[in-house]
Amino acid sequence: MKPAFRSPGLFLLLLAMPVGVSAQQARITKLVDVNYGTISNFTSDLRVSQNICVFDSTSANGYRVTATGSGTGNAFTLASGTNRLDYEVEWNASSGQTTGTALQPGVSLTGQISSATKQDCGSGPPTSASLITILRTASVQNATSGSYSGTLTIVISPT
Amino acid sequence: MKQISPVTRLLSKAAFLSAIGLAAAVPATAATQGALGATSTGSVVITASVPNRARITGLSDVTFTSQDPNSAASNAQNVCVWSNTATKGYTVTATGSGTAGAFTLANGGLTVPYSVQWAATSGQTSGNALTSGAASASLVSAATNQSCASGPATSASLVVGISTNDLGGMQAATNYTGTLTLVVAPV
Repeated sequence: MKPAFRSPGLFLLLLAMPVGVSAQQARITKLVDVNYGTISNFTSDLRVSQNICVFDSTSANGYRVTATGSGTGNAFTLASGTNRLDYEVEWNASSGQTTGTALQPGVSLTGQISSATKQDCGSGPPTSASLITILRTASVQNATSGSYSGTLTIVISPT
Repeated sequence: MKQISPVTRLLSKAAFLSAIGLAAAVPATAATQGALGATSTGSVVITASVPNRARITGLSDVTFTSQDPNSAASNAQNVCVWSNTATKGYTVTATGSGTAGAFTLANGGLTVPYSVQWAATSGQTSGNALTSGAASASLVSAATNQSCASGPATSASLVVGISTNDLGGMQAATNYTGTLTLVVAPV
């Protein structure tokens, strides 16, 4: 009787396994909430940048990023009751940046490359991208007083 | 006819007042981190507090030239008052440059009183009389832009006047000058 591992069925199984292991995967971590506090500067844009970890398992480390806000139609708006305060979002595929490419709600920004070597940036670069949110002067100056809040959701997809 | 010449000039001065009336707590939902997967999703909560603010713009100096003392002098101007409160409410407080904030014009030891009226709509030639240093009743602005750059071009009327009685007491060919300060506060 021949050993079982020489059977044709076992060879097919071994060939199929590597396909699942090499599936493209991504991860975004190290996000922190953005609190502008009580606004006192009404004469210049209010820009907050945070360094985050974006990991991508593809050989080229390429990914696309898609952002959506919690406003109507996924708009980038903060809400205070029925009042709205618009904000903008920028993305930079390098950490430590205060400017980037403007994102539009639900529209993917492609061609991004991650420098992260670990899925949570536990080793290698501690962060690999910059997320920037902006409150424009024009929006703040004419906003109705109140406490505004909203949620910004970021989706990373390997490419 | 007695003439007062050449110029009796009243300077008006804009004042901007802000009041921080907000210290409201904001939702404390924490940021969420993405998991490793075919796509990875994270989120952040963004919060901001906009304090109460008001602004007055569009003010112009007031000049009464060669004023006939038999006719009361009056000057009305349209100004922009903006308030960012939910009700767009505000109060206005006027002070003059006379003794204890009196509404008076002066030339050395010579003085003449003037009156100040305010209307919360533009295009008015009369309004409610303001008392120096006393806040008006709560008013509502129609302005939708802090400098009236869009929406209504103006939102209030400032009316300055000198009565015939006071004009009659002025020295001819003498310039009287003063500064009127207006403070707008959101309510």
